[in-house]
Amino acid sequence: MTPKRKKRLIIILALVFGAGLAVGLTMFALSQNINLFYSTSQIANNEAPVGKRMRMGGMVVDGSVKRASDTLRVSFGLTDYESEVTVVFSGILPDLFREGQGIIAQGKLDENGVFQADEVLAKHDENYMPPEIAETMKKRQEAQQ
Amino acid sequence: MKIKMPRWFYQLASPRWFYDITSMLLPWFSMIALILMITGAVWGLVFAPEDYQQGNSYRIIYIHVPTAILAQSCYMLMAVAGGIGLVWKMKMAHVVAKACAPIGASMAVLALATGAIWGKPTWGAWWVWDARLTSMLVLLFLYIGVIALTSAFEHVASGDKAAAVLALVGVVNIPIIKYSVEWWNTLHQGATFTLTEKPAMPPEMWMPLLIMVIGFYCFFGAILMSRARTEVLQRESRADWVKSLVEQS
Amino acid sequence: MSFLVAAIRRDLLLAFRRRNDIVNPLAFFLMVGVMFPLGVSPEASVLSALAPGVIWVAALLACLLSVDGIFRTDFDDGSLEQMLVSPQSLHQLVMAKVICHWLISGFCLAMISPLLAMMLFLPGEGVMPLVLSLLLGTPALSMFGAIGAALTVGLRKGGVLIALLVLPLYIPVLIFGSGTVQAGAMGLPIAGYLALLGAILVFSTLLSPFAIVAALKISVRS
Repeated sequence: MTPKRKKRLIIILALVFGAGLAVGLTMFALSQNINLFYSTSQIANNEAPVGKRMRMGGMVVDGSVKRASDTLRVSFGLTDYESEVTVVFSGILPDLFREGQGIIAQGKLDENGVFQADEVLAKHDENYMPPEIAETMKKRQEAQQ
Repeated sequence: MKIKMPRWFYQLASPRWFYDITSMLLPWFSMIALILMITGAVWGLVFAPEDYQQGNSYRIIYIHVPTAILAQSCYMLMAVAGGIGLVWKMKMAHVVAKACAPIGASMAVLALATGAIWGKPTWGAWWVWDARLTSMLVLLFLYIGVIALTSAFEHVASGDKAAAVLALVGVVNIPIIKYSVEWWNTLHQGATFTLTEKPAMPPEMWMPLLIMVIGFYCFFGAILMSRARTEVLQRESRADWVKSLVEQS
Repeated sequence: MSFLVAAIRRDLLLAFRRRNDIVNPLAFFLMVGVMFPLGVSPEASVLSALAPGVIWVAALLACLLSVDGIFRTDFDDGSLEQMLVSPQSLHQLVMAKVICHWLISGFCLAMISPLLAMMLFLPGEGVMPLVLSLLLGTPALSMFGAIGAALTVGLRKGGVLIALLVLPLYIPVLIFGSGTVQAGAMGLPIAGYLALLGAILVFSTLLSPFAIVAALKISVRS
C-alpha cells in the first residue's frame, strides 16, 4: 500500500468509525427522556419527579372541564386512554382547547398528584379535514364500536 | 477518476449563455407563478372547506407551508451551488448561490411570521421554543451569516468561496429541521406534504396547497433568475457582450 | 503524530508567553457571571434557577471572544502562509490549533466554573454535570469557532462578523449543555444529554477540519 492510499484508508476508517459513534450516541440519547415530557400514565405510575418543571401531554377527558365562576381558574382531566391526571390552570385557554383535544401542559406536579400548569398549549396534527367529513368519520367510528 | 458531466452543465458555466437562456425563461416563470399563486390563493383562502378543528385559521397553511418548504429548498440549492462552485470552480454557480441567500432569508422570515400568526389562535402562543421553531430560526441566522460573509470580502471571488464553505457547514441544520418533529416531542405537527405518502387531507384542501407550492417555486425561480441576471451583468460589466448589450438598448 | 504534538507544543508555548490571552477570557467569564446577581436579583432562589443557562452563556461568550485569535497572529506575521505551503498535513495543523485553543479557553473555563456556580447558588448536584458538560461541549465550540476564525482571518474587521457566523452553530451545544446542568441540578439522569454533547463533539471533530482547511486556503490566498 502506498503511503497516500494508507492515509486515505485511515481517513475513511476514521470517518466511518466516527459517524457510527455519533449515531450510536444520538440513538442512546433519544432513548433517554431528555426533554422532560411525560404521558399521563407515566405520571400516574409515579415515574415523574414531583415539584420539577416539566411538560405533560394527553387528551382532555370528555365532561371533565370545570371553570370557576369568578376567576380564570379551570381544571380538567388529561388522559392517554390508560390513566387520568387532573390539571389545574388559571389563564386564557387557546381556541383549540376543547374536550377530546390533544393538549400539552407545562408546569409542576404537586404532592397530591395534581398537575399545576402555568401554560396550556393545544396540539393539532397534520390531518386537516372539513367538518362534514370529520362528522361522518366520527359516526362511522361510533358505529364500529 | 474523472466524471463527465452532461453538456448543459458546462454550458451553464457560461454567463452569456445563462443570460440568454434566462431572458427566454424569465417571462414564462413569472407568468406561471402569477397564475398559479392567484389560483391557489383564491381557491385556498375562499373556496377550500373549513377545518373541523381550527375553522378558518388553518387557511394560513396556504402561505406558511410553501414559504417553509421554499426556505429549506433554497438553502439546499445555495449549498449545492456553492459546492459546485468550489469543486468545479464555476463562476455562475457562485452567482446563483449569492442570489439565493436573500430570497431564502425572506422566505424563512415569512415562514416564521406566518407560523407565529397561526400559533397564537391554535396553540395559544406566538412562539414556543420547540425543536422545529428553533431549528428554523437557526436557518434564518445561517442565511444572515452567509449574506454578511459574502459582502464582507473586498475580493468578490473570495467572498463567494467563503460563503460557500459556510453554507455547506450549515447543511447539517436541514435534516434537523425536517426530522425535529419526529425526534422530539414537539408542539409542531408533522409534515403536511411528503413525497412518499398521500396527504392526510381531502383533495379539495391539498390541491390548492399543491398549486401554491408549485406557484411559489416558480416565483422563486423567477426572482432567482432576475437577481442572478443583475449579478451577472455587474460582474461581467467589462465583457464585450455586456457592452454591446448596453449599446443596443 | 509527532507533528501534531510539536504543533500543539508550539502554540501552547506561544500562549504562555502572552499570558493575557489566557487570563482575559477567564476574567471575562467571571465578570459576566457577576453581572447577573447585580443586574437581575441577588436572591438565591432566582439565581439558582438562572445559573445553568447563565454560566453556559458566559462560557460560550468567553470562547467566542478568544476564538478570533486562533489564526490571527500567525496570519499577521506570515507564518500561516508558510504552514499552508509546507508538506505537513493541514488537518493535523488545524487540529493542533483547535486543541490548543480549547486547552487555554474551554478547559480552563470548565475548571473555574465551580466558582461561578457557587456565586450563582447552583445546587450542589449541578456542579459535577456543569464541569462534565463544559468539558464535553467546549471542544465543539472551539471547533465551530475555528471555522468562523478561518473564514474571517483575512478580513481587517472580523469581530462582529465572527459572532454572526459562529453563534448559530453554537445554539445546539448551548441547548444540550445547559440542559445537562438543569437536569443535574434537579437530580434527574444526565446520561442522555452527555451522549448528545458527545455526538456533537464527534461529529464536529470529523467534519470541521475539512471546513477549516478549505476556509484557511480561501482566506490566505485572497
